Amino acid sequence: MSFGQLGVIALVIYLFGLIGVAEFARRARRDLSPSDHFLAGRELGVFVLLLTLYATAYSGNSLLGYPGEAYRRGFSWIMATGFMMSIIVVFHALAPRLRLLSVQHGFVTPGDYIKYRFGGDALAKRLLIAVAILMIAALANFLFAQLKAMGELTELVTDGIVPYEAGVVGLALLILFYETLGGMRAVAWTDAAQGILMLVGLVSMLVWLLGATGGLEQVTLTIASLRPEAVRVPDATECANWLSTVLLLGLASVIYPQAIQRIYAARSGTDLKRAFAIMGFMPLTTTFVVTLIGLVAITRFPDLVAAQADTVMPRLLEEWATAGPLASIAAIVVFIGALAAIMSTADSVLLSLGSLIAEDLLGRSRQDPATTKLGKRIAAGVLIAMILLAMNRSISLWRLIELKMELLIQCVPAFMLAMHWKKTRPGPTLLGLLVGTGIAVVCVLAGTKRIYGFHVGVLSLFINITIVWFGSLTPPRVPSLRSGDAAGVQDCSG
Amino acid sequence: MSRSRLRISLLLVIAVLYIASIPWYRETGQMPSLVFGLPDWVAVALFCYAAVAVLNMIAWLLTDIPDEDPGADRGDS
Repeated sequence: MSFGQLGVIALVIYLFGLIGVAEFARRARRDLSPSDHFLAGRELGVFVLLLTLYATAYSGNSLLGYPGEAYRRGFSWIMATGFMMSIIVVFHALAPRLRLLSVQHGFVTPGDYIKYRFGGDALAKRLLIAVAILMIAALANFLFAQLKAMGELTELVTDGIVPYEAGVVGLALLILFYETLGGMRAVAWTDAAQGILMLVGLVSMLVWLLGATGGLEQVTLTIASLRPEAVRVPDATECANWLSTVLLLGLASVIYPQAIQRIYAARSGTDLKRAFAIMGFMPLTTTFVVTLIGLVAITRFPDLVAAQADTVMPRLLEEWATAGPLASIAAIVVFIGALAAIMSTADSVLLSLGSLIAEDLLGRSRQDPATTKLGKRIAAGVLIAMILLAMNRSISLWRLIELKMELLIQCVPAFMLAMHWKKTRPGPTLLGLLVGTGIAVVCVLAGTKRIYGFHVGVLSLFINITIVWFGSLTPPRVPSLRSGDAAGVQDCSG
Repeated sequence: MSRSRLRISLLLVIAVLYIASIPWYRETGQMPSLVFGLPDWVAVALFCYAAVAVLNMIAWLLTDIPDEDPGADRGDS
């Protein structure tokens, strides 16, 4: 049996498994409320919560892009382990208080916190819409990238038997099916299965790679002889970039709507903190592993140009598959694991998009039973639009994808500063967000992604925070209710 | 030391570990020696991140996330 045929069989088994999980999730459904659909009835326990956080945080980029980046940049990509861990550290500043508020006031969307914190005046509503637009732009962008990666990987795993276009459409529709059927419960349960698959696949691949190359020391010595700059101590700009990347990823990733919604969805605060406690170790078993995989690739394919670096993972897997029947099956497991990572991120993004657009952007009432249905329809519409975009394989929105984190990080003051500083007001927060976003967009579109190693998004965030800080210290022109007054509080339950 | 103070102290140590993980203090372009099969500056970074994972775990276990209102309110940390 060829590698491609084996891939098709594995794909079919995997997909049927997902459908089975979705059906179980549908049967576990309690009602048709947004809380049940988008937050699994707030009953995710520590095991499922951990695995859904894990599978959602590690996208196709982690499994395909990061080895390529390690190949290009060498050992300094160890920074990836640090920045993935920083996400869990930064959650300390957000999760405990947000979790409590979400339970007290029935939050479902990220915008519920904005409504609660800043009340309902005109500026607060504009801030809510601005935050929602940035989040939707980042999520749509993210979804597009996952769809493209799904198509590419399906074609690879089946050796072309399932073409790119069929992979994109087929897997996207499957995600839509199980997400519509079982909501967050289906997403979280499939994430759990996908997370295990990803972990097993990666670790077995690393064991094979290190065994086949003579161990870690031999790998490092070979890299030092082939590409000494990959081993040498990095320069000041790279060190600045290291710090900047830790800040960018750490701060922006906790603002991802799907991450915020998992804080709401936890069964209890205790389950949430236990999941975060374990989650801090996952970069050591995943990001560090994919970094090593990318570094080992330097010793096996030393002459790839930068643009080919993203293909190191599939190249290694193809090589592994030729080592015998057992290796072939193991390689397929890693391929499916990578596909699982992509799908688990895409399904979470899709779920968040529906609730975000229906409630935060369009302002639909949660009490209206039609809101869940509208959220599902909107998510389907966005997915179809992204499928159509992804059908054009040559289209490149990578620059926009780079913008994703730089945009999302501009929402940080609206959540974290507002949560810890009672003087934060909606007007300066909106102004800071607009200015920060404007600077980041203009710089990136003008081709300036970093200044002295620091991302323009991070530098813009400092300007953003400065505006919020000084603006909030200045008394408002029209006397109004101080932020925090009872009149501003909105109960989001329903 | 109270749980809250201990948690904040751990978070401060984590911040220091992040700064220490970056090889600012090393001469640029220096060829490193090997530690556990890795360039020494990479081994230091990895050690820092492993320590961050452990301290982060302890900090989370010291964190109180109540499911009922203990009297806390908005923006008043």
